[in-house]
Amino acid sequence: MACSQGQQSTWDAIGPVAEKQLQLFNVILWVMVAVFVVVEGTLLYTLIRYRRRPGQPKPPQIHGHTALEITWTIIPTFLILGLGIWSVFTLFELDEPPDDGPEILHVNVTGHQWFFEFEYPDAGGGKRITTANELRIPVDRPVRLNLESDDVLHSFWVPKLAGKVDMIPTRTNHMWFQADRDKIDEELPATFFGACAELCGIGHALMRFRVTVMDQADFDSWVAAYGPPPTITEGAQRGQQVFNVNCSLCHTISGPDDPGLAQSRLDGFLTGGDVVPVPAPNLTDLRTRHTLGAGIAVLSADNLRKWITNPEDIKQGNLMSQKALLYQDGDANLSDDDIDALIEYLLNVR
Amino acid sequence: MATLTDVIARPASYSGIWSWITTVDHKRIGVLYGTTAFLFMLLAGIEAGVIRVQLASPDNDLISAGRYNQMFTMHATVMIFMVIMPLSASFFNFVIPLAIGARDVAFPRLNALSYWIFLFGAVLMHVSFIVDQVPDAGWFSYAPLTEEPFSVNKGLDFWALGLLVLGTSSVAAALNFIVTIINLRAPGMTLMRMPVFVWMTLITSILLVLAFPVITVGLIELVLDRNFGTHFFIPAAGGDPLLWQHLFWVFGHPEVYILILPPMGIVSEILPAFSKKPLFGYPFIIFSGIVIGMMGWAVWSHHMFTVGLGPVANSVFTITTMLIAVPTGVKIFNWMATLWKGSIEFTTPMLFALGFIALFIVGGLSGVSHAVSPSDFQQQDTYYVVAHIHYVLFGGSLFGIFAGIYYWYPKITGKMLSEYWGKTTFWLMFIGMNVTFFPMHFLGMNGMPRRIYTYAEEFGWGDLNRLASVGYFIIFASILTFMWSVWQSRKSRPVSHDPWDAPGLEWSISSPPPAYNFAELPQVEGRDQYWITKERAEAAGTPIRGPEAPVDPSTIHMPSPSYWPIITAAGVALIGGGILVHFGLSFAGGLIAMLGVVGWANEPASAPQEHH
Repeated sequence: MACSQGQQSTWDAIGPVAEKQLQLFNVILWVMVAVFVVVEGTLLYTLIRYRRRPGQPKPPQIHGHTALEITWTIIPTFLILGLGIWSVFTLFELDEPPDDGPEILHVNVTGHQWFFEFEYPDAGGGKRITTANELRIPVDRPVRLNLESDDVLHSFWVPKLAGKVDMIPTRTNHMWFQADRDKIDEELPATFFGACAELCGIGHALMRFRVTVMDQADFDSWVAAYGPPPTITEGAQRGQQVFNVNCSLCHTISGPDDPGLAQSRLDGFLTGGDVVPVPAPNLTDLRTRHTLGAGIAVLSADNLRKWITNPEDIKQGNLMSQKALLYQDGDANLSDDDIDALIEYLLNVR
Repeated sequence: MATLTDVIARPASYSGIWSWITTVDHKRIGVLYGTTAFLFMLLAGIEAGVIRVQLASPDNDLISAGRYNQMFTMHATVMIFMVIMPLSASFFNFVIPLAIGARDVAFPRLNALSYWIFLFGAVLMHVSFIVDQVPDAGWFSYAPLTEEPFSVNKGLDFWALGLLVLGTSSVAAALNFIVTIINLRAPGMTLMRMPVFVWMTLITSILLVLAFPVITVGLIELVLDRNFGTHFFIPAAGGDPLLWQHLFWVFGHPEVYILILPPMGIVSEILPAFSKKPLFGYPFIIFSGIVIGMMGWAVWSHHMFTVGLGPVANSVFTITTMLIAVPTGVKIFNWMATLWKGSIEFTTPMLFALGFIALFIVGGLSGVSHAVSPSDFQQQDTYYVVAHIHYVLFGGSLFGIFAGIYYWYPKITGKMLSEYWGKTTFWLMFIGMNVTFFPMHFLGMNGMPRRIYTYAEEFGWGDLNRLASVGYFIIFASILTFMWSVWQSRKSRPVSHDPWDAPGLEWSISSPPPAYNFAELPQVEGRDQYWITKERAEAAGTPIRGPEAPVDPSTIHMPSPSYWPIITAAGVALIGGGILVHFGLSFAGGLIAMLGVVGWANEPASAPQEHH
């Protein structure tokens, strides 16, 4: 049922998990519509039929009817239990991906104020990958996610792929989904929208992400190409220096995150302080991403320049403009040439 | 000690501002509750307006993200704890003693204490606006967003301490009404002859007494975490943020029934009065209320389906939650059967009661899709939930409360509200409510999360949001027409004691009732006693034309006013407020509260010039 097509529409399921959830909703919806029509219709009919007319005698004083009471207790009970039992089966069915299907891709997702971090322990050929705000998955393969949070509660939600699951410090939750080729109307790679669904502070509304569904071959070549940006040009080399001086306290760009370093950044954040290292998106593959600022703006040299110059203009409350020494006086304390070089380095453009 | 308090005689004035400050009359306290709650409703309504204007168009930057979080947090907290609950309390106060044929509540001074603690607690929470450190973590304030380093100012302290103070008030009031209903019923009024509103008040009060301690534990732990270095909910220090969710919702779900059962009771009073038929299936309505009250304890985790409790826990809570729809449905069917074959008169209170049924059905049905957890994974924390909660709490609770206001207004004030303006208010509110909240179902299904201060145009949520914002202004207009008709009613002619030909005992005495309520305690022979009385008089050829004859008030002993409730309440609020400023103040608050209690205990039984 395509009531509405939207970037985050739950009506438009592209995989088995979202589809089963939608199926159940659609059944409830039609049962609800039927009950609504019958009950509200009866109510309206009663009101019109038995409206007071002038000179009307006192109506019959009826106190109750036991058989009727039993009827309208039992019928809804069975209706409800039927839906309930169906839900229970769906719950267990959707808990874990099927064992007999294609090989499962495992991804660890961590929620941070305010971005999503994705870690592939084995993206293919044993290669470990850390990236942020853009989850790349191969089509027609189940993806199983471990969901965690480092700070406050977040909730991981890609409406077209699956309902949300919360990300909670102290817990590792899990969910899975799969994007089916035959349910995606567009050419691959296709992009789907996700968002944080649990209030997590000032940046909550702007904590979004994308899921890019790719052919296995494209996915494999992305995995193979994953690595620090090349520094063949002079500008990129200067950009790298600017990066190392100003950005590297929080951002990793040399490959997957080092767990020890990540922990020290988290400790810095949790103990507080004005200028401290904080967890920040891994930028190793920034040049291959489509968005910046946790899925809120298209990634282009222009937008990246605006972002680096003053992130607060684009994303209120972000930790970069609060915690980095660079932004202690508002705009970035960098020359235009430095920023140009930095962009050249990060995006590998000239 | 007795000598100390003996010098402070009980206040004796029954008019002027001091008479309101020292009153222990349940009717006056009811009016105080009602007007205070209405003022807070305007405040929370304005906060809703800020939210709706901000969301009216994509990428709007009217207010900042931080300010927006404050708006929805305070809108919900105020509407639930400072509007719907005290509005219900105002009916408990005004109506219950009259409906059971009593002269006052069991503990009149405790009743005054409840009101003053409520007022001071509400004011305490609103001081946060003056110092611009407003609570901003949502009305259920999930940890650890409420903890350091994520919460940077005192906002959540105002929230937690304000709620703790308000909770004291609720529990005191609930105990009072339990005792009142159990002990002060007129002779002959057995439990199964009590009006449904009295029954629902009793169930609600029991729920309050049992539910508030749970949130109190959570709130105290939060205050300790924030101010005294404990780590109940701080994961980095070994605390458990989920503990907060369990504590909150074990309270929070019974709370939902605390908000809806009293309006259900109000509607059960109004439908018979304007169909001229007794309530259909009285025992079934009562028992379904009791069942809802009990089952309400077994469903809290349906607020936590996405928390990852696993399919076993989610299955259990899916089934229990779905089953609670059965007693709710039973109530609706019985109300409709009450109307069936009736002689239905569409007065304003009746329109609001019917609006309650029509809208509550919608909220109940959308609740089913939340109960089914696999479906709820998509709807949880979206605008679909926002639509659901507003159909239940606005379409349900508030429409029921407005029905009650229009129904009992003549009894409370002795004046009639204009039917013309009343119907205008109803239709504006009914249309505005649907225009505002119905589109939100679609916004939720189209993927709009709740609690976002802005959204991009590409999501396609702009049109429905604009529509919802238009609806807000229709609701706003309905509140203006309501206020206008209240203002206008001061000039209207005095109303008779029984303008609706109603079944309840409260209609047998004058409007407004005398301070002593009943000159002679009524004898109750069945349900709908005043209908029985009127019918008998009619049959005997001597129809009742006026209220019970007044008697000399000095012949009836009524409790004298007292200074001590407001003093004790100020002390209690200061204990909370002191934690925000200086613990010395809390200590002073404790002393004042203790002094208040001692004075209270040693107070002379009546004012000096009264001799009865």
